[in-house]
Amino acid sequence: MPAKSKRKKAKSTRGRKLRKSLSLGLLLLLACLGAYLVYLNHLINQRFTGDTWALPSRVFSRSLELYPGLPLTLEALEYELRLSGYQAVASEPLAGQYRVLGGSLELHSRSFEFSDQPEAARLMQIFFDTDTVDAVIDSNSGSALQLVRLPPLVMGSYYPHNGEDRLLLKQDEIPEQLVKILVAVEDRQFFEHYGINPMSILRALLANIRAGKTVQGGSTLTQQLAKNMFLTPTRSLTRKLNEAFMALLLEVRFSKTAIITAYINEVFLLQQNRISIHGFALASRMLFRRPLHQLQVQDLALLVAMVKGPSRYNPFTRPEKALARRNLVLGIMRDQGLIDSGKFQSAIAASIGIVGRLPGINPFPAYLDLVKRQLRTSYSSGELAVRGLRVFTAFDPLAQRNLEAGLERGMDRFAQPELQAAVILADYLNGDILALVGDRDTDYPGFNRAVMAQRPIGSLIKPLLLYGFLEKDLSLASRVSDRPIRIRQSDGKVWEPRNCDRKLHGDMSLYQAFIRSYNLPFVHLGVESGLQLLADNLDKIKLLKHDVIYPSMLLGTTEMSAYEVAQMYQVIANNGYFTPLTTIRSVTDQQHRTLKRIPIQSHKIFDQAAMIQVQRAMVGVSEAGTARYLAARFKHQTLAGKTGTTNNLRDSWFAGFSQRLLTVVWLGRDNNSPIGLSGSSGALRVWADIMQQQGFRPFKLSRDERLAWRYIDPIKGGITDPDCVDSVLLPIPRDRIPNTRSRCQ
Amino acid sequence: MSIIRISKLLCRTAMAFILLLAGACSVQPVSTNQYQGDIGDAGVEARPVAELHDQALTALDDNQFQLAIDYLQRAIKIQPRNAWSWHYLAQSYRQNQQFDQCLAMLDRSFSYSSYDDVLELANDRLRAQCQQG
Repeated sequence: MPAKSKRKKAKSTRGRKLRKSLSLGLLLLLACLGAYLVYLNHLINQRFTGDTWALPSRVFSRSLELYPGLPLTLEALEYELRLSGYQAVASEPLAGQYRVLGGSLELHSRSFEFSDQPEAARLMQIFFDTDTVDAVIDSNSGSALQLVRLPPLVMGSYYPHNGEDRLLLKQDEIPEQLVKILVAVEDRQFFEHYGINPMSILRALLANIRAGKTVQGGSTLTQQLAKNMFLTPTRSLTRKLNEAFMALLLEVRFSKTAIITAYINEVFLLQQNRISIHGFALASRMLFRRPLHQLQVQDLALLVAMVKGPSRYNPFTRPEKALARRNLVLGIMRDQGLIDSGKFQSAIAASIGIVGRLPGINPFPAYLDLVKRQLRTSYSSGELAVRGLRVFTAFDPLAQRNLEAGLERGMDRFAQPELQAAVILADYLNGDILALVGDRDTDYPGFNRAVMAQRPIGSLIKPLLLYGFLEKDLSLASRVSDRPIRIRQSDGKVWEPRNCDRKLHGDMSLYQAFIRSYNLPFVHLGVESGLQLLADNLDKIKLLKHDVIYPSMLLGTTEMSAYEVAQMYQVIANNGYFTPLTTIRSVTDQQHRTLKRIPIQSHKIFDQAAMIQVQRAMVGVSEAGTARYLAARFKHQTLAGKTGTTNNLRDSWFAGFSQRLLTVVWLGRDNNSPIGLSGSSGALRVWADIMQQQGFRPFKLSRDERLAWRYIDPIKGGITDPDCVDSVLLPIPRDRIPNTRSRCQ
Repeated sequence: MSIIRISKLLCRTAMAFILLLAGACSVQPVSTNQYQGDIGDAGVEARPVAELHDQALTALDDNQFQLAIDYLQRAIKIQPRNAWSWHYLAQSYRQNQQFDQCLAMLDRSFSYSSYDDVLELANDRLRAQCQQG
């Protein structure tokens, strides 16, 4: 074989081998590419076909029920409306707006899907008579309304770990105008291309080369969506390739409408502290306090303007830049024929139109924390952060405002910056927790003392102890003795309790011992028969924390949180009916299906007649006992309560109630050092400030036929004449009326 | 004479002053009204509550028990001591086959229903029905 032929053959063999290798390599590359595309497709599937976004769960307040006679001022209603995101206007209000007309308020409420039934938007006028609602008139029909339920406000949210917040829009909820503007500004060929636009990329490349830096992007809306949803913002060739592949896959798999809907829900528009606001719907609510479909053309233009650089065109921090970019968008809209010249002129002349400042993120952290704790048995924190649940609570924003104002005033009395506070305000008749504070800085989202801080409760235990004695065989007129006592405990130590004033006061009625909060008579009675009774009664309200009972429990060494104290006093105030205190009333999913209901519960666990006597003694505390400050401050307004002080003045407590409201106040320090305040000189003052701010109806005792009212000498315990200066009118069980008479002192 | 007259006048004035002072300082005995209150369903809340009762009863007629319960719980939030609200709530629970809740709500109705014979009779009847299950 000639050499030439041999070489030719060898060359041909090499060529074949090379072709074969190349083919094989290409095949391998294609296989890899195919596998990679399958992987990318899987990623897309995961996001698009399941729950595309982690949605924060929203926590709603109670709904405000408006009716003639409701104690409510115009100012208070305005406060609640502003908190709900209603906008004050000067012209006839649209849904979500209101205007003040002299002494009345015209309100266009929003529609709302309540857990029981939907409520339509409604235009109404509310008239006021000083501090009450005088009339509610339907503006369309002119008829008087007896009862109107306003939608609740979002008082907080549980956010996902990535801090993203958004409101989702369905395809048919997106204003057509928004889509047109978005396409005109960001991607004019959106409805023609297949995910990537080579011409646009080339144009951007040339522009960037000419400028020597990145001045133009060539990404389509689909590529932007792919980047936002699946990729990181880092600029690299790999990321660009991934973005292109994913955009192509998205276009193959989904319709243009689905892609633009996803984009509108996904795009990042604003940062508020640690929370990032995504999607046009939420941005519209935050910036303009209006839903997207109510925005003016210049407002939509501003939102679209912000897409290019949420930080660079932030209307709060860089209003001039944001305004210039908005006007640029308006110019594009005019050039594209989306608006005429007249509309363009009026739109660019309009101010930026956003709210003064963004609403705070979770301004009521203590309440929100308790909601989460009470939901714990049904939903984990993780679920709450992603499932977009709607949690309906008893939170009363007006009660919370009054509580915070009263607390601030009360705390200003004491020049103690380290003094901490916890307060709970509840409706003891139906178990609603209306307001809560877990730190003197009420919006500080730290340690929730109202629920977490377990502190000895001191004399706050005495009403339950007294109940045990009264239920058994004593009456408020029974004679007790204030004399020393020494008790050897199981560990061999001797316990020698003393009165707060370290004095002895001799014999007196049980009523007198209670209102003065003397310890020794209660210890005497307690060690004889009351300790086990107390433990049993604590157990009935699920507050017995230890199996071992010990004598010092009689003086409140048991540790409780303000929340637990409130539960104990709920039963006392409610004539012995146990109604679990709750923040939550119902939970629904995103589709408004009810997942959980917490109905009003009521269990009779204590005797009403004995509890009425306890309540009367607690009224005595506020009339002539350790809380007589209340009688001086709120003249002729009956209130019931009890002070509590712990050793060395470390904790200052007051728990008390009016006709419907129960408020518990704790003051102390986190390091448990003395605060120099008793229940009377500390928490009681704060309690009074809160109640004054709150407004209340005086407390009234229920009637019970087993009780007879008699004038009693509080020291000797005998029956006295009604006109004796020191006599007190007390309910006494008919079979325990004293058979002795006392002369006037 | 004039001195005696003046003296008498002064005495009378002094007596009148003392009596006046004594009257002002005399103890006005407190009465049970200061402590006990009406627990009925009077007040400005009566009308909206009556409206909710009507809606609840209509819902009950339509066998929409949960809706009736929702209406009545709203009524109780407005006026928690209204014995009829608790009674209707108990009735709704009975129709919804929740007999323990029925009895618990009836207890509350009884506690607010003193002096209302019609309601007490209705409560007695309903209690018997709930106990039978």
